[in-house]
Amino acid sequence: MSVGVVGREGTTSLHTVATASDMAGGIYVRDLVKTFGSGADAVEALAIADLTVREGEFLCIVGPSGCGKTTFLRILGGLEAPTSGALDVRIEHSTRPLQSMVFQEQGIFPWLTVLQNAAYGLTVRNVPRGQREAIAAGYLRKLGLAGFEAAYPRQLSGGMRQRVNLARAFANDPAVLLMDEPLGSLDEQTKMLVQEDLLHLWEGTRKTVIFITHSLDEAVVLGDRVAVMSHRPGRIKAIYPIDLPRPRNALELRNNPSFLAIRGRVWDTLREEVLSANLGSRESLG
Amino acid sequence: MTQSQETGGLSARSAVTAPTPAATGRAPRLVSPRERAVAVASPIVLLIAWEIAARTNLIDARILPAPSLVAATIYDMTVHGDLLTDTRDTILRFLAGIFAGVLPGVFLGLTMGLFRWIGVVLNPIVGVFYNIPRIALFPLVLIIVGLNETSNILMIALGPFFTMLITAMGAVMTVDPVYRDVAKNFNTGPRHLYLMVTLPAIAPALMSGLRISVGLGLLGTIAVEFLVADSGLGHVIWNSWTVLSLTQSMAGLVVAALVGYVMFTMVSLLERLLVPWNRPRSFA
Repeated sequence: MSVGVVGREGTTSLHTVATASDMAGGIYVRDLVKTFGSGADAVEALAIADLTVREGEFLCIVGPSGCGKTTFLRILGGLEAPTSGALDVRIEHSTRPLQSMVFQEQGIFPWLTVLQNAAYGLTVRNVPRGQREAIAAGYLRKLGLAGFEAAYPRQLSGGMRQRVNLARAFANDPAVLLMDEPLGSLDEQTKMLVQEDLLHLWEGTRKTVIFITHSLDEAVVLGDRVAVMSHRPGRIKAIYPIDLPRPRNALELRNNPSFLAIRGRVWDTLREEVLSANLGSRESLG
Repeated sequence: MTQSQETGGLSARSAVTAPTPAATGRAPRLVSPRERAVAVASPIVLLIAWEIAARTNLIDARILPAPSLVAATIYDMTVHGDLLTDTRDTILRFLAGIFAGVLPGVFLGLTMGLFRWIGVVLNPIVGVFYNIPRIALFPLVLIIVGLNETSNILMIALGPFFTMLITAMGAVMTVDPVYRDVAKNFNTGPRHLYLMVTLPAIAPALMSGLRISVGLGLLGTIAVEFLVADSGLGHVIWNSWTVLSLTQSMAGLVVAALVGYVMFTMVSLLERLLVPWNRPRSFA
C-alpha cells in the first residue's frame, strides 16, 4: 500500500512518499477497500477503484444511506484506516494543515464559547491568542455570527451551530476541507441560507472540498462535480460535471432550467441505487 | 367521533411539548421565592420541634439536649475552650485530604479512560483496593507512614481518590465519540486533549463525584480524629462521649454538620464557576 502526502509530514495518518510529480495536484484514490469485521461476518463497506479529486475543486458525493460515504470521508480525515488500497495526496500545504473536517450536527464543543470553538484548530496548533481570536472572529463575522462570540452553543439555533462548525474548519485554513453531511439536520430554509454562506466563503478561498450529502439538490447547488456512490459496498458509480456558472446563488439556482436538467440526469443514476438499497434492506429484514 | 378524540389528544400532546426553557437555550429559572422560603423554614421547624420535645420531656434531654442548650455550649466552648482551633484543624485536614485525593483521582481516571491499555492494566488493581473497607487499612498506613498528620491525610484522601477515579473513568468512556473524532482530526496534543476536550466533557459528572467525595472526606476526617488525633471536631465528639459529657459531644456534632453544610455549598459555587455552560436545576 503506497500512501503519500506531498508537503509537511504527520498532519494525518497519511505518510510522505514524495516523488517527482508528473501528475497534477489532487487526491488520487486507487482500489481503496474498507472491510468491517472478519471471517464469515466480514462486510465490505467500501470499494473505490479509481477516484481523482482535483486540487481546488468542490466535489460532492451522494449515495443511499449506508453506502459507505461517511466511511470514505473518515478514512480521508485520518479517523479510520483503510483495509487496503492507496491514497495519494499531492497537495502542497507546507504552511498549513492538510485537512480539517466539518462534522455532523453535534461536532462543536458545548463547553467552549462560539469564539473558542471557532479558534479551536488554531489553539491546538499553538497560534498566539490575539492572532487566533482575530482570525476566528473574522470567519464568524463572514458567517453572520458577529456579536455571538461569547455565547455558548446551546444558546444558538441549529443553523448558527453549523455555521460555528464551518468557521472552525475554515479558520484552521487547511488545504482540504472534508464535510460530512454538515447541513443534514437543518430545515430546508436554514439549509439554503447556510449553503449560500458556504458558497461565498469557499469562492473566496477555492480550497479543495469533499462534501458528503444525501441531498441531491445540495450536491448540484454546491459542487463542481457530483459523484454518485452505489449501495454497499460503496463504489463510485458515476461522476457528473456540474457546468453551472460561478459565483452561484443557492437561493436562486433551484429554478434555473439547466440546474433542473443536470439534477434530472444525476437523479436517474441515483434512483436505481436508492431503490436497490431499499430492496436490499427489505430482503435482509425478511 | 374517533376523529375528534384524536384531535383532542394531539392538541393536548402539543401543549405538553411546548418548548422548554432548556430547549430554547434560555437559562432555566432555578428556585422560586416560595421554594427558597420552604428551604429555609424546614430546618427551623425541625429545630423548634426538637426544642419543644426536649423541654416537655417527650425525648430524654440528657441524650438529645435542647438546641438552645447546645447553642449555649458551643458559645461557651468557643470562648473558654478550644472549639475554634478544633474546627480549624478539622477543616484543614479535610481540605488537605480532598486535594490529595481528588486531583490524582481525576488525573488517573482520565488517563485510564482515555488510553485503553492503561485502563486494562490498572482496572483490576483499582477493583481490589476499592473493595477493601478503607478504614481497615488505617493500622497498615500508620505502620508504613508513621503516627503523624501525613497518615491522617492519606486516610482521608482514599475515599475521594477512588470516587473521583471511578467517576472520571466512567465518564470518559461515555463521552460522545464525535468529540474524540474532532480532537483527533484537528491533531490535538495531549495537553489540549486533557484540558480543552476531555476534562470539560466530563466536568458535570465530576461535580457529582465531588459531592460524594466531600461526604466521604468528612466521614474520613471524623473517623481519623476519633482514632488518633488529639485535636479536631472528631476528637471533641469522641472525647466528650468517653467522659459522658453528652452536651459537648452534641455541640461538636452540630459544628461538624455546619462545616459539612458549608463545604457542600462551596461545591455548588464551584460548579457555577467551573461548569458555566451547563446550569442544572438546584434545590438550594
